Amino acid sequence: MAFEFPKDKYNGKIVEVTIGAGDKARTVGGETAMPLCNFEGEFPNRPLVAMEVYDRAEVCETWAPACKAPFADVMGDAVAWAKKCVEEFGAEAICLQLASTDPNGMNTSADEAAELTKKVAEAIPVPLIVWGCENDEKDAETLSKVAEVCAGMNLVIGPAKEGNYKKIGGAAIGYDHVVVQQTPIDVNMAKQLNILLNNLGVPMTKILMDPQMGALGYGIEYCYTVMERDRLTGLKQGDEKMQSPLILDVGKYTWKTKEASVSVDEEPAWGEAEVRGVLWETVSAVDVLAAGADILILRHPDSVRILKKIIDELMA
Amino acid sequence: MKIFTIAESINIMSKTIGPAIREKNKGPIQKMAEEELAAGADMLDLNLGPARKAGDEMMRWLVETVQEVKKDVRLALDTTNTAAVEAGLQVCNERALINSISAQPQSMQERLPLVKKYDADFVALTMSEEGIPRDSSERAVALTTIMAMGDELGIDHARYWVDPIVLPVSVDINQVKAYMEFLPMVKDILPGATNTCGLSNVSNGAPNELRPILNRVYLMMLYHLGQESAIVDSYDVEMMAICRGERMDQVEYVGKLLNGEDVQPTNDTEKMLYKTFKVLNGDVLYSHSWLED
Repeated sequence: MAFEFPKDKYNGKIVEVTIGAGDKARTVGGETAMPLCNFEGEFPNRPLVAMEVYDRAEVCETWAPACKAPFADVMGDAVAWAKKCVEEFGAEAICLQLASTDPNGMNTSADEAAELTKKVAEAIPVPLIVWGCENDEKDAETLSKVAEVCAGMNLVIGPAKEGNYKKIGGAAIGYDHVVVQQTPIDVNMAKQLNILLNNLGVPMTKILMDPQMGALGYGIEYCYTVMERDRLTGLKQGDEKMQSPLILDVGKYTWKTKEASVSVDEEPAWGEAEVRGVLWETVSAVDVLAAGADILILRHPDSVRILKKIIDELMA
Repeated sequence: MKIFTIAESINIMSKTIGPAIREKNKGPIQKMAEEELAAGADMLDLNLGPARKAGDEMMRWLVETVQEVKKDVRLALDTTNTAAVEAGLQVCNERALINSISAQPQSMQERLPLVKKYDADFVALTMSEEGIPRDSSERAVALTTIMAMGDELGIDHARYWVDPIVLPVSVDINQVKAYMEFLPMVKDILPGATNTCGLSNVSNGAPNELRPILNRVYLMMLYHLGQESAIVDSYDVEMMAICRGERMDQVEYVGKLLNGEDVQPTNDTEKMLYKTFKVLNGDVLYSHSWLED
């Protein structure tokens, strides 16, 4: 008797979510099996590799030199930075970080952020993800304004959390955008926020889920198991509230760690800083890719290049 | 059906009871004891928390105060202060329940001798030095650890009230399931022992107004797996009715679901039982909106 490879059976499918409009539109999700188990199900859409772009140079002051160098000529000009990421570094989407809107920082205005967002969105041929400063109140204000100014562009806006999902979700419905909902590494809370967004009127086809993560060395194993449970619930239990594509900002979580960013002078035994940081980011990204990430946001161009190659091989 | 109920409300953490204990004001305590007994509680838990300062005197006074309401009331002495437990044991008219003794060496060494000396019952908490057990095997290890020392002291297995530790469904469904897996094993590991649990912990973290629903349905499930006693909120009238065997239609419906029969609900009560059963059984992921989902 011929050997038959054992296969798991699934009862659900990750929702296909289209981000961007017109020629810029890309679709993520649609998987019918656990991550990378191509032999068990359909994987109609490749995981998307996005790159971070920050709204102001000042908010990048503390960055590791390895991360500043590739963008030295464009920092402070988000439009040029975004174009460079797409044209030179192969970014498949851009994540515009509106970090300067933070009321505890530069506190730039929602209007200013919305104007900048529109310029960036118009300048690039790929979908745009717009990330707030992670202050509930300010993000509600900023992202509502962004949604309005960029009406119909089908941007991704977020993160929407328990404290501001009504305003951000409402703006997404009103001006036709996709929402990233974010919960602190917790399956039950992730489900609850999807229920609340659905009740508000945001359909599953307009929601991405950010389960949050810690980088390699900072609890990534736990994050992995939470993402795995997200997926098992959606695919094995067929829980319709848990079938959102997953989006993770790997760059932000990685480069704030000491291991990724400290100089070789400070830690001679750790080896050259740039290689180390890129590896740290890439390995963290591969981890969450294996756990089910549909959109990965990275910072360093080399990490993007390596990760895209890995995805090519895994999806082949 | 009969679940032996231990009423949980006389607790130093309570806004009314706390000050009453500290000021030695009998009124509110005796009133609550009367209410718990009137609600049908079989035993009253007296929870003093850590009771670091003068715990022994406090417990003695509390036991005597409650016994004035009913001379032969059964009491559970619930404090981490062992001197306070012993002080309570000395004045209890009926056989008391020590709440609790875990598999941590200090807990066993200090408290198991009291079980022997006062011929008391005790809650055998399946927790070890490593903390909360992660699965049913670790629960079994903890229980056999307690049993090994208990046997050395010649403690009758009938004195054990095994508590497999209820944990919140909103935190980890695997723990909710591990409890259900372990409970039927208790009678094999320790024939002659009974069991109990801090039931309301299953709903910790859930919206307050919905907590009783999780508590009730979980108890109905546990009943079918051999649960004989539980520490409960005696002010939950429905809960007390379930424990007295007055909601057998609901209990039987939950039993069918637990047996794997997918009996579709036919009315609102069954709908509530069905949805709650599904989250507690791990078939559907818990969220705060589980009843509407």
